Amino acid sequence: MATILTPQATGKLVGKRVRRREDPRLITGTATYVDDIQKPGMHHACIVRSPYAAARIKGINAQAALALPGVAAVFTGKDVAALGPVPCGASLPGLRVPHHHILAQDRVYFTGHPVAVVVATDRYIARDAADLVEVDYEELPAVAAPEKALAPGAPAVHPEWPDNTAFTYHQEGGDVNKAFAEAEVIVKQRIISQRLIPTAMETRGVVAEWQPGDKALTVYSSSQIPHLLRSLLAGMLGLPENRLRVVVPEVGGGFGSKLNVYAEEALMGFVAMKIGKPVKWIESRRENFLCTIHGRGHVDYYEIAAKKDGTILGLKLKLIQDLGAYHQLLTPAIPTLSVLMMPGLYRFKNILADIVGVFTNCVPTDAYRGAGRPEATHGIERMVDMLAAELKMDPAEIRLKNFPQPDEFPFATATGLSYDSGDYEAPLRRALELVDYPRLRQEQAEARQQGRLMGIGLSTYGEVSAFGPSPATPAGGWESATVKIDPAGKVTVLTGASPHGQGEETTFAQIAADELGVDLEDVIVLHGDTAVVQYGIGTFGSRATAVGGPAVYYAIQKLKEKIQKFGALLLESAEVTFTNGNCVCNRNGKSVTLAQVAAASYRAMKLPPGEEPGLQVTYFWEPPNFTFPFGAHIAVTEVDRETGRVSILRYVAVDDCGNIINPLLVDGQVHGGVAQGMGQALYEQAVYDNNGQLLSGELTDYAIPKAGMMPWLETGHTITPSPVNPLGVKGVGEAGTIGASPALVNSVVDALSPLGVRHIDMPMLPEKIWQLLQQGGQA
Amino acid sequence: MKISGTHLLALGQEGAYRLLQDPEVLAKCMPGCEALVRIRENEYQMKMKMALASFSGLFDGTVKIADAEPSSSFRLLVEGKGKIGFMKGEGRLRLSPDGTGTQVAYDGDVQVGGTLAAVGQRLIDTTARMMIKRFFDKLDENVRTTST
Repeated sequence: MATILTPQATGKLVGKRVRRREDPRLITGTATYVDDIQKPGMHHACIVRSPYAAARIKGINAQAALALPGVAAVFTGKDVAALGPVPCGASLPGLRVPHHHILAQDRVYFTGHPVAVVVATDRYIARDAADLVEVDYEELPAVAAPEKALAPGAPAVHPEWPDNTAFTYHQEGGDVNKAFAEAEVIVKQRIISQRLIPTAMETRGVVAEWQPGDKALTVYSSSQIPHLLRSLLAGMLGLPENRLRVVVPEVGGGFGSKLNVYAEEALMGFVAMKIGKPVKWIESRRENFLCTIHGRGHVDYYEIAAKKDGTILGLKLKLIQDLGAYHQLLTPAIPTLSVLMMPGLYRFKNILADIVGVFTNCVPTDAYRGAGRPEATHGIERMVDMLAAELKMDPAEIRLKNFPQPDEFPFATATGLSYDSGDYEAPLRRALELVDYPRLRQEQAEARQQGRLMGIGLSTYGEVSAFGPSPATPAGGWESATVKIDPAGKVTVLTGASPHGQGEETTFAQIAADELGVDLEDVIVLHGDTAVVQYGIGTFGSRATAVGGPAVYYAIQKLKEKIQKFGALLLESAEVTFTNGNCVCNRNGKSVTLAQVAAASYRAMKLPPGEEPGLQVTYFWEPPNFTFPFGAHIAVTEVDRETGRVSILRYVAVDDCGNIINPLLVDGQVHGGVAQGMGQALYEQAVYDNNGQLLSGELTDYAIPKAGMMPWLETGHTITPSPVNPLGVKGVGEAGTIGASPALVNSVVDALSPLGVRHIDMPMLPEKIWQLLQQGGQA
Repeated sequence: MKISGTHLLALGQEGAYRLLQDPEVLAKCMPGCEALVRIRENEYQMKMKMALASFSGLFDGTVKIADAEPSSSFRLLVEGKGKIGFMKGEGRLRLSPDGTGTQVAYDGDVQVGGTLAAVGQRLIDTTARMMIKRFFDKLDENVRTTST
């Protein structure tokens, strides 16, 4: 499998830096988000939420709220007791699943737990009335940290399970005991991957409208998974699925936080049906921080075994996952992805992993950009660096020594995966070249002589993407496309991979335009409305291009056969080729345009034998395997001795996501991904106090990287096509996030290594580093 | 959050002890206090307006005096809740003679929840200090006006 170092356009449009067709409406403020939707007679909802992390509800008095003019209704737990529950789509042996009501019943389990909903004629009345709902709580002891929740005598989050353990999960590969017995060096470290708040720019929002005559409900929601949402919501509300329509309009980011089904989505459906009026709920930023899923939340205990020459023999992991109080859609499945990817890009075949999934009185964790894989990559990349330091080896050298070679692919891992294709040296060598590594190390030596704390950090990451084949996923692992050509020859693509900022209206149009030989302007891409689009799975796990893209491709291949048959009919020739948007007779060179063929197919005066009229094909495509993108990031940092502040001097990201449909969008994904990885490494952490109060409850207390904090990103690509799909693409949505945090932490640890620092947990806040500097590096 | 400090009252120890437990005086001196009604011996119902950064709200709560050792120390237990969250506080006040006045030493623990914790936690420390200062300023003023 050839690795190509510079992306080249493979078609007229595919491979080119086509500007996003979505952007004009976004930057001119003409896009329609959920909050832009207005309906005649629309009411507004405000949710009353628990100020306690654990409490018994002794009573709710809504009299004063109901008395406020404009208030239409107040609903509490008992009104919705028969609905739901909020679904958990993940299954693990012995998994304890608490019944997740859409409104709290007699007890609340986390700060922000929805207790009642107030419905009024406008948003402000609803908000004022929510303050008038009196809830009588009896506060109970809470526990907000996973290791504390596991300690004997800890308060039980769910009284029926006093050990706070939702599940344990064990996985082994090879012979880890032998590996550790034969090891010449063993390095151990506890590594934290802190709780993060996804912070999509658009918070969640729902509009629900009930048509009593049709007994049909329409739910507009800011979601990554319109069809899965429809299926699950229908179950929660007891509606036949064909009478529920989910519309996902413009979505202002999700990062996994909208790969979910939330209580509020069912609650608004219930309210609309109950009051017979459309109802809108828009999540505030504070609610978003309190009640939308968080990401990460790991405490990991690693042990790595190796020979003195740097050959890695095996890896052990004890993973403590903070689940929060409930399972949201995929909560318990996320740490299992960390286990799958724990070997990273390395050849060793001996692993042992034990997960403990722990309930805490906090909002549930779930998929956040990378979902389990940033944690795994952070772990293995930190451990490899610590091993290199122990052996006094160069971090690049130890990595190069442990990669499987390109001729070993497909490569079977210790965790049971089959890496599709790879040339792991290529991006690392390219990144080393870009920074002029030997010279950079020399610069570092000089800086150290001057007393400056300069660090160079590497990470070589791998990820499992493009979920999935179906048996390996909780829902179907396929994606769908309908391609239809109207009588005038213009093309409409309907994709089930509903985007939320990925630019599929551009990339899928590039694929379709090239395959059909038409202009980009002749193709539109529709998505997100279950009444318009055939069933679909959605956009998450870097899957849209690698699973949704091939569905478009295959639908067009089928469509082309039909176009050729109609072309043959028009040209009265048996030998016709469809090329560049025309059907051409191979014998006499006569041709008809796609528009002529399309018109003839709908007019249907004559039909090719066995064909129906019209030009429309729907294709559901399931990949035979995941894809495994990879890459190498290098971060050069300097630590200020006086303040502990980290400056990023250079950041180089060389990613290999297989073939590239649109390099501009790939760069955008890498930029955004690195920003979020950098956020985890340097700034972000969701902080709960001992009583389960979220202290980082707003953007004033939760630092996400701002544009001015970003370093100049130097990006590069190597291209190792995936053999798994016809486009040879792998996916790049999460790559930047996965590669960034270990590169930055490795860099800062390298900067502080002369002081004896061997590990720093994220976020590397100036205060933490300053403390280390004051203690001469001894934590 | 831990709070501690001292304040010198220009009043003899017995007078200071009485003053610190006089509901009328406390109602006047506690910043934002709108009502303080005795429910039973050593227990009061309180209405208090609290402002923190950009938001403010009315708190309903109780104030209890416990472990009273007349003239030298007592424990104060305060609980309140309102639209913007809840607060619970517990502290011990110790009185000792200092010249002609009385040294009041206090240390305690305050816990907040709800929006108050989510949004205001960075400001709670300074707000609490400010409120304590205002309380003692008013108390001093009370001592000055009643003694003249």
